[in-house]
Amino acid sequence: MTRACALLASLALIVPVAAGAHQLNVFASVDCEAVTVEAKFSNGKFASEGEVRVLDGENALLTTFPLEADGTRRIPLDSVDHSGGLVIEVDTGSHDDYWIVTPEDIARNCGS
Amino acid sequence: MARLLAVLATMLFAAGAAAAPDRPRVVAVNYALAYIAERLLGDAAEVVYPVPDGTDPSFWRPSIADISAIQSADLILLNGAGFATWTAKVSLPRSKLVDTSRGLADRLIATETVTHSHGDGGEHSHEGTASYTWLDPEIALRQAQAVANALKARGLEDEGRVDDRLALLAADLAALDAAADEALGALSTTVFVATHPRYQYLARAYGLTILSLEWEAGAAPTGDELAELRQLVAERGAEVLIWEAEPPEGARAAIAELGLQDAVFPPLAVEPPAADFVAAFAAGIEAIAAAASRAESG
Repeated sequence: MTRACALLASLALIVPVAAGAHQLNVFASVDCEAVTVEAKFSNGKFASEGEVRVLDGENALLTTFPLEADGTRRIPLDSVDHSGGLVIEVDTGSHDDYWIVTPEDIARNCGS
Repeated sequence: MARLLAVLATMLFAAGAAAAPDRPRVVAVNYALAYIAERLLGDAAEVVYPVPDGTDPSFWRPSIADISAIQSADLILLNGAGFATWTAKVSLPRSKLVDTSRGLADRLIATETVTHSHGDGGEHSHEGTASYTWLDPEIALRQAQAVANALKARGLEDEGRVDDRLALLAADLAALDAAADEALGALSTTVFVATHPRYQYLARAYGLTILSLEWEAGAAPTGDELAELRQLVAERGAEVLIWEAEPPEGARAAIAELGLQDAVFPPLAVEPPAADFVAAFAAGIEAIAAAASRAESG
């Protein structure tokens, strides 16, 4: 009984989600040749400006690239040592997010 | 030092992943799910909670080696409800994933926090979902049922044994629910304040009013934080402070000076000291009920 009353009472206290809310979401896919990074906000807009940082398994910075205007960046695998996997960070200056690519991800998506 | 410990933890986790090939391995993103899995599996599988000690599992950032080890597990138990942000930043094998709050969308609590203002559109909120679902025993049982179904579907343990253990766990959770209902059900007029926003599901289940601060777990409150709490006492009539971990020496005296009673209720995302999930939950219920009683008696 307490539960039922509590549920009714609490419904009025639960805060609605703001319509204008957004967070940065980074996704990276990999094939035999490259890692393709996509960065967009949770409101659906692409992040048109930002820095893509590529780190190795020890979190050492390997290289950086600017985001393309469409919120993507292609990173050729032969441009980085990816043997221990890669961490892809995107920083727009106000939001940041990351994606982890393991050696197994690379092997799996390269058909080996 | 922390970095060294994290590296050691990762090495041990990865080594464990490689050392026991015959025993299935189940990864859980928080202690609550690890406890449920251990109760249901017995010794049939190794249950791994991969987050290093002292790290909040909600915001843990795993290493590549951590993710490699998790990807090779036989089953990966997700909490859902936005818990463990790292799970959305890696590729996890879908065939091994179990979202234990899937199907509970109508029970989840939406939250928002106005955090900042910048060039991406002025002041705005980052939406979210209250994540500590297991603090409502009814939801914890639903999550346990999801885990049980996954274990049986993947043949990780004998179906009959899983069902028997689930029945025992369900009885424990029902007893917790009854105890909480009795101890907390009449406290709807008491205003609680939690040092972190962890207790939304507990509050809803038992009709509690729990306001939230954003204090660091286990740290002494700063002067500004105490001022904020003082304001909640004056404006909202706050009477009881809920710590998520044992506070440092002196912190309790500072709270008492504000006229507040206090209690510790570990939110159980990480393993509590010297107690399991059910015992710590029961002790937390008793602690906040006793603090409310002290507040009422003045």
